[in-house]
Amino acid sequence: MGHDGGQGHWIEKERCGGMNGADKSVSRTQDVWMKNEVVIGLVMVAVLTVIMLTLGLPLVLTILIDAAVFTIVTLSLNLEVGHTGISQFGRVLAVIAGAFVVGAVPGRVLAFLNGLPYGVSYADDAVNYKVVPAISDLLASSLPLSVGFLLFSFVLAAVAGAVVGWLTSRPAIRLKEAYLGISLLAFGDFFMWVGHNWEPLVGGTTAVFVPDPFRVVWGSRFQVIVIVAVIMAFLVYLYLEKLTRSPFGRTLHMVRDCDVAAAVCGKDIVSIRTQSLMIGSALAAVGGALYVIYAGTCTAIGFTRLTWTFWPWAYMMLGGIGSNRGVVLGVLMLTVARTLIITYRSTLFGFLLAWGIDPMWLEYTLMGLVIMLVVLFMPHGLVPAKVESILPAGRVRKAAQEQGFGATVG
Amino acid sequence: MMPAWLASGLAYASGLSLTAGGITLLYITTRTFNFAHASMATWGFYVVYTGTVLYGGTPYRWLPLSFLLGALLGVICYLVLNRHLLARKANTITLMMSTLGYDLVLLAFIQMYCDYLTYSLKLFPRRVTMSVYDIELFGTSGASIILPLTAVAVLSLLHLFITRTKFGTAMRATIENSLLAGASGINSDWVYLASWVIGGGMAALGGAFMAMAMTGTPVLGMTTIPFMFAGAILGGLHSLYGGILGGFVVGLAEYAGVYFLAAEVGSWVLGYRMAIPLLIMAVTLMVFPQGLAGAWATMVGKVTGLRKRGVEA
Amino acid sequence: MSIRNLSAGYGRLQVLFDVSLEVPAKGITVVVGPNGAGKTTLLNSIMGNATVFSGDVVFEGVKIQGILPYKAARMGISYVPQMGNVFSDLTVMENLHMAGYMLSSGEVKDKAAQVIGMFPVLKNFMHRKAGTLSGGERRMLAIGMGLMRKPKLMLLDELSTDLAPIIAKRVITEVARLRDELGITILLVEQMAKRALEIGDTAYLLVSGDIRFEGKATELLRDPELSKLYLGIKEA
Repeated sequence: MGHDGGQGHWIEKERCGGMNGADKSVSRTQDVWMKNEVVIGLVMVAVLTVIMLTLGLPLVLTILIDAAVFTIVTLSLNLEVGHTGISQFGRVLAVIAGAFVVGAVPGRVLAFLNGLPYGVSYADDAVNYKVVPAISDLLASSLPLSVGFLLFSFVLAAVAGAVVGWLTSRPAIRLKEAYLGISLLAFGDFFMWVGHNWEPLVGGTTAVFVPDPFRVVWGSRFQVIVIVAVIMAFLVYLYLEKLTRSPFGRTLHMVRDCDVAAAVCGKDIVSIRTQSLMIGSALAAVGGALYVIYAGTCTAIGFTRLTWTFWPWAYMMLGGIGSNRGVVLGVLMLTVARTLIITYRSTLFGFLLAWGIDPMWLEYTLMGLVIMLVVLFMPHGLVPAKVESILPAGRVRKAAQEQGFGATVG
Repeated sequence: MMPAWLASGLAYASGLSLTAGGITLLYITTRTFNFAHASMATWGFYVVYTGTVLYGGTPYRWLPLSFLLGALLGVICYLVLNRHLLARKANTITLMMSTLGYDLVLLAFIQMYCDYLTYSLKLFPRRVTMSVYDIELFGTSGASIILPLTAVAVLSLLHLFITRTKFGTAMRATIENSLLAGASGINSDWVYLASWVIGGGMAALGGAFMAMAMTGTPVLGMTTIPFMFAGAILGGLHSLYGGILGGFVVGLAEYAGVYFLAAEVGSWVLGYRMAIPLLIMAVTLMVFPQGLAGAWATMVGKVTGLRKRGVEA
Repeated sequence: MSIRNLSAGYGRLQVLFDVSLEVPAKGITVVVGPNGAGKTTLLNSIMGNATVFSGDVVFEGVKIQGILPYKAARMGISYVPQMGNVFSDLTVMENLHMAGYMLSSGEVKDKAAQVIGMFPVLKNFMHRKAGTLSGGERRMLAIGMGLMRKPKLMLLDELSTDLAPIIAKRVITEVARLRDELGITILLVEQMAKRALEIGDTAYLLVSGDIRFEGKATELLRDPELSKLYLGIKEA
């Protein structure tokens, strides 16, 4: 903005100087955090039970897989945004990397090994719709092959994601905040259009099918997928919790909160941000891979920034930027809300149909309102991230008591 | 007479220049990157579409109403969201996210409006070719002449407003130094409100213009918002005129680039038209981040040899 | 104006700790102190640009801490900051008009003429962008702008920093004239203490957010220890 006459910079520095003075909001935040996450967690379990009893298990399973995929993607976003302070508005790019790689490569590998078309023609829709089911039959005949295929796909996706993460870190060196966000957003859009137009990749406008490694459990494919997805989401959550509480996590937070101080302490900020982006993008790519395997197809145009960047941002903001638990709850809450709107749209909002309006659009209204309300009234989300001190809590408390601040700090 | 790509390109570039200008104005006054520009632009288009399709005549007579709706949407954004966040000294990411939420709500209403038009009024608002409603002028599409002229007129009015009127000068003062402006008794609330009025109106007009060149869809704004930002970034994000010029350059480059590339290598490049604004944006950010306006200022400074600020005579 | 037990800063960073001052009407009150003492924060707290944690700022019987800057301006408090004190992109004439934003157009013309009378050198630059002026000329324009606002109280932040000694002396003399001829109350914040204390009536020494001395300006000037320690003044 304009020149603030030297005064403006004080406001920016507030973050760095924020540890000065007794921060009375710390303990209050922690109390809120404890209560909120337990209450919300219980409420969600109750809601899911009710849905299962009234609307049936399949709907709950759909909610769970949807939530699992987006939990992985949103947790990866939270790592980059919440823990490292990077303006990641191009989340869709990493998801696309995983999705396209899994749409384009594993099927071709198996096709190659079995004498089926594997080159450019693989993605041609006349060929693809015959080749892929053949591969799926092959997978269905052998559990080890299916498991191998699945793992291979995820590893491939993770590698593709890591590469994308590294590429993303290059602009992140020089660009900050909104400039970086806009650039990443544009890149994400661009690669969606590449996938949409370049047929040999993932079929362009007609999409490719993805071989199904879950056919091997034919009877309960859906249930098994849901279980696998939920387990994967849980593993990702555990991994990120461990990562963000480790010394590396503390370094991330230092870089997020005051990179000048971090640099002074000898931290290589570029390297830290790069690592964060690589890990985050790898995880998001795995989420994308999981999604296309579940869906059975890879349609480029479906990977819009709306669904894969903005929805995760909304989930993250509702849950609490920087709080992994908050993110999980945020994803769950909004996935349930979205699913309910879609399921009940005729009954609750049927009056709209009188004018020909499909209540499905209320999903956008919901997400938009959530973002607006969170920004206005709950900028820290439902489960605010704990404010961290550099010293362990015990030492802070002791020092505070010695100086007579009593129980208000730490 | 005028090649088709140039005719469409001029219409499109005029629209993009208005939207990029609006984004720049909003950024330099309120530090907000307005995502809702996307749906404000789309609404601008739908006002013109509705008017033309229901009441006939040329699309151009609906432009003032389009501007007004855009201004209204901008005012709502300011009163409901932006004002409170500015008072809290929220950072640029928070400000941008708030406009994103607003954009989603506006998009929902656009889609619902299209549903209504489709089923209740038996129209086809989801794939609109506005150029069929255009008039012909001097052997070429009316849009290619009328829209650039209208853009010039609007921007001239804006220029006069901010340079010749007291309030306009107050806006410039607030943009440069809001603390000093406040100390002079200028109430920044009104300055911010005015920029949302102008920015929102320009967004809507820009969307209506762009629709004359491309297919009108409910996601017209959503699809083109990266280009609007690219134009603003090319302009330099600290000068309104830079943003306007940047938007125009990006828009024309897109159409010219695609046309000439397609002539060289084949029409498949059409799908990758996004690469052009993206490339411009990347080059700007990497090579001359101060944008066109900054480069211009540096050149002017060097040529006239003005005294550097802060150095005692 | 009185400032009572003011604790203020920016965001969560505290700069002033329980500071109290009296600014008597129609006099020059000088606040001196080393860099980073909080002098600018003090002025910002009065104008509403800083965060006030506790304490009062009372002007003409009204508590004004925390009000918006433009409201303080409309009450008759005129702030001339140290940096960013003119609109560089606007012409000198536009600067004066903006400074006179609250006045009617007739008043603006009159006051602008007055200001030019006080600083005739500005007449040559009326249509030049303020950013092209030299440091001293800009300072004069800034003071002129401060006067356009028909102030009852002027807050002047480090007027003479970065100026050649001759021009600094002239500027300080003009400030004394403002008190003598126009009866304006002045709160003058300075790093170059000697000259400011020479024209001042009351003085305060602000160090690290604390008041270390209050009293007559001449007393502070003559106090050998304080003036040597904090003000770099050798034998007065």
